[in-house]
Amino acid sequence: MFAKKEKGYVPPKMHEKLSAGDIVFSIINYTVFGVFTLACIFPFYYLFINTISDNNLVSSGKIDFIPKGIHFGNYLAVLQLGDLGQALVVTLARTVIGTIIMVLCSALAGYIFTKREMWHRSFWYRFVVLTMYLNAGIIPWYLNMSMLGLTNNFLAYILPCIMVPYNLILVKTYIESIPQALEESAALDGANYFQRFYKIILPLSKPILATIAIFGAVNHWNSFQDSLILMQSAPSLFTLQHRLYIYLNQASNLSQMMSGGSVSQAALNSLMNMKVVKYTVAMVTVIPIMLFYPFMQKYFESGIMLGAVKG
Amino acid sequence: MQTKTGSPSGTPALAESRTSARVYQVLRLVAVVMFLFLFLPGLNPARISGLINRNLSLFTAGISHSQLVNGFSKAFRKGWIEESTLTALQIGSLACVFGILAQAGGMCASLGSHKLKRIGTGVTLGGAVVSMAGLGCIFACHNAFVNAEKADKLEPVLPVDFAVLAVFIAISAILSVILLATGKKAAKDEKCEIEPKYQLFLMCLPFLLLAFLFGYLPLYGWRYAFFDYKAGDVLSMSNFVGFKWFTYLVQNKATRRDIIRVMKNTLGISGLGIATSWASMIFAVFLAEIKNEKYRRFVQTFTTIPNFISWVLIFAVATAIFSTDGFISNLMIKAGVWTTGKNLLASDAHVWLQMLAWSLWKGLGWGAIVYIASISGIDQSLYEAAKVDGAGRFARMWNITIPELMPTYCVMLLMSVANILNNGMEQYLVFSNSANQASIQVLDLYVYNLGIGNGLIPLSTAIGMLKSVVSVVLLLVANRISKKARGESII
Repeated sequence: MFAKKEKGYVPPKMHEKLSAGDIVFSIINYTVFGVFTLACIFPFYYLFINTISDNNLVSSGKIDFIPKGIHFGNYLAVLQLGDLGQALVVTLARTVIGTIIMVLCSALAGYIFTKREMWHRSFWYRFVVLTMYLNAGIIPWYLNMSMLGLTNNFLAYILPCIMVPYNLILVKTYIESIPQALEESAALDGANYFQRFYKIILPLSKPILATIAIFGAVNHWNSFQDSLILMQSAPSLFTLQHRLYIYLNQASNLSQMMSGGSVSQAALNSLMNMKVVKYTVAMVTVIPIMLFYPFMQKYFESGIMLGAVKG
Repeated sequence: MQTKTGSPSGTPALAESRTSARVYQVLRLVAVVMFLFLFLPGLNPARISGLINRNLSLFTAGISHSQLVNGFSKAFRKGWIEESTLTALQIGSLACVFGILAQAGGMCASLGSHKLKRIGTGVTLGGAVVSMAGLGCIFACHNAFVNAEKADKLEPVLPVDFAVLAVFIAISAILSVILLATGKKAAKDEKCEIEPKYQLFLMCLPFLLLAFLFGYLPLYGWRYAFFDYKAGDVLSMSNFVGFKWFTYLVQNKATRRDIIRVMKNTLGISGLGIATSWASMIFAVFLAEIKNEKYRRFVQTFTTIPNFISWVLIFAVATAIFSTDGFISNLMIKAGVWTTGKNLLASDAHVWLQMLAWSLWKGLGWGAIVYIASISGIDQSLYEAAKVDGAGRFARMWNITIPELMPTYCVMLLMSVANILNNGMEQYLVFSNSANQASIQVLDLYVYNLGIGNGLIPLSTAIGMLKSVVSVVLLLVANRISKKARGESII
C-alpha cells in the first residue's frame, strides 16, 4: 500500500549530466537528513545499550556507543517490581479492552449516522461532533468524572474514550463511500440494521477500523494524564506511563523504591542503581511501540489523509 | 425487530391516538428528567444525612457502598447508627436506580408499534413501582436517622429532590395506568416492531448518552467559577459570589503577575511553534529531492517514530541524554571539557527554545507526511516545463512545489493560530522542575497546578472557562478567514 502510493512521487529518471552544484546539494541534503534521522534513533539506541550492558560500566558512565558485557537480567529484575507488573497489566488491559470497544462502537455509530432515515439525524450527528470543540477545562472535567463515580475506577479509562468525534467522522465518511447497492440487496433479503452492519459494513470498513484502532491503541498505551489526575488514591490502577513518570522523578534511592515490593535478593543485586531502573522501565514502555510500528506505519498515512476529508 | 415499516398501531380512533401520543410525550419527558436524577449529585434524593458526600449521585450511592459510607466511619465507631441502615439506604437507592432505568427503557420501547407501546408502558409502571419502593426504603432510613439517639450528629435532612422525584414517579405511574386501562389490548398476532427512524435512534442512544456525559456534562462544572468553593463544600446561595473570581484575576496583584507571566510563556511557546510551522513543509520539500528511494523511506520511517512516543518517555530519553550522568555529560567529561556532569535539563536558559526543540523532534517527521502526500499529487509536467525554461532546482521548488503546498500550509497555520492557548500540559508538566518553573508554566499547566495542586477550584475553573471561550472564538474566526479566502471551512 505504501509502495503504491509512493510511485507517482518519484521524479522521472534524468539522464542529464549532474552539475557540481547538484552534487554538492545532494551531499548536503543527504547528510542533513541523515543527521536528523540519527538524532531520532540514537536516544533509543543509547537507552537500549545501557539496559543490556554490564551495570557497573553503566553506572560509571562507560557505555556510549557500544554495549559491553551484554546481559538481560535487568528486564527480568524490573518486571519483578510489583507495582510495575501491575501497571503493565492495567495498561495492557485498557489498551486491548478500550480499543476493541472504541472500534466497534465507532463503527456502529458511524454506520447509523450514514442512515438518512434516522430520527433527526443531522441534529444528533452535530450533537456528537460538536463535543470535539467543546472543552470545559481540566478542573470541570475532573469534577465531572468524580461526580460520575469514575475516580479510582478502571472504567474511567474505557468509557470516555469510546465516542471520539474525530474517529466517528473518519468512519462515517468511509462508510458513505461504500456503494449503497451492496446494503440495499441485503435489506431486500430482510436483513435488519444489525445484520447488515455486521455482515456487510463491518468487513468492508476494515481499513479505516484498523487506522482508528492503531491511533486508539497508541493513545491508550501513552495515556498518562487520566491516571495522574483520576487515580490519586488507587495506585494499583496507575498506568505504565504514570509509573515511569514516578520512577523518573524518584530520588536515586534504591531502598526507598524497594520498600513496598517483594523483590528477591538476586533481583536486587542485578539492579545496580536507579539509573538502570529508569532506563529499563523506559525501554519496557517503548518496546511495544517499536514492535508494532511496522503495522502502524501501513495505516497511519491513510489515516492522516482521510483526516483531511471532513464529515 | 423488523425493519419493515408497519402502521404503528391497529387502527384506533384518531382522536384517541392523538391524546395518547401527547401522554406518551409527557411520559418520555418525565423519564428523561428522572434519568438526570441518576447522575447529578445536586439532585440526589438519597442524601438524607449531612455526612453523605455532596458529590455523590444517586447512581453512585446505589452501586458503591464504600463511597456511600465514606463519611460514616466515626458514626459507626461511636455507634450513632447501625451499618445495616446504610446498607438499607444503598438497597433503596439501587431499587430507585433500577426503577428509573426500567422506566427509561419502557419509554424507549414506547417508540414502537402498538403492542410494543403496551409492553413498554407496563415496564414503565413496574419501574415506577420499584423506584417508589426504593424511595420508601430511603424514607424509612431517614426515619431511622431522625430517631437515632444522637440524631444531631447525623445531620438528617430530607432533600427537596426527594419530594420532586416522588412526584415525578407518581406522574409516571398514574399516566401509565391510564394508558394501560384506556388503550386497546394488543392482538395476539401483532408483531413487536419499531419504525426504522426510531430503531436507528434507539441504536444510537447509548452513544449519544456517552457524548452527553463526557462532552456536555463537564460544562455544568463551570458553575463552580461563580461560587466560593472548597473541596467538600456545597454550592448554595450563601457562597454564591458572582463574578468575584473573574475580577479577582485582574485585581489581585499576585495573581495578575502570575497570569501575565503564564500568558507570556503560553504565547511565547505557541508563537515559536507557529513561527516554525513551515519546517515540516520544508522537510517534505527537501525530502522529495532525495532520489534514492530506500534512503528516503529510511528517513521517513525513523523520523516519524517519536510522534508515537508519549511525553513521559521523551522525558526519559531527555534524562538519558542530558542529565548529570547522561550521554552528553559522559562525553564532555571524557573529552576533558567539563570536570563534572551537568544536568542540562535543570537550567532556566532558553526554556522556550528547549521546548520548541523537543516539539520539533517529536513532530517534524509526522507533520511532513501530509505535505509528502501533497507533493506526490503535483503534476510532473509542471516540473518538466520549468526545466525546459531553464529553471534551476531552487527555482522549481520556490515557484512550483511551495505554491502547490500553500493551501495545505494555510489550513495548518490557521489551526495552530486557533490553538494558540492550547499547548496541552503533558510536555510542560514532565519537563518542569524548580529551576525552570517560571518560564515553562503555560496556561494549561498553570490551571492544573492551581486546581489539582493547590485546590483553588473556582479560580482555576474561571481561568479555564475564559481560555475555552477565547479558543472557540479564535477557531470561529479562523474558520471565517478560511471560508473567505478559500471558500472552504476548516471545521
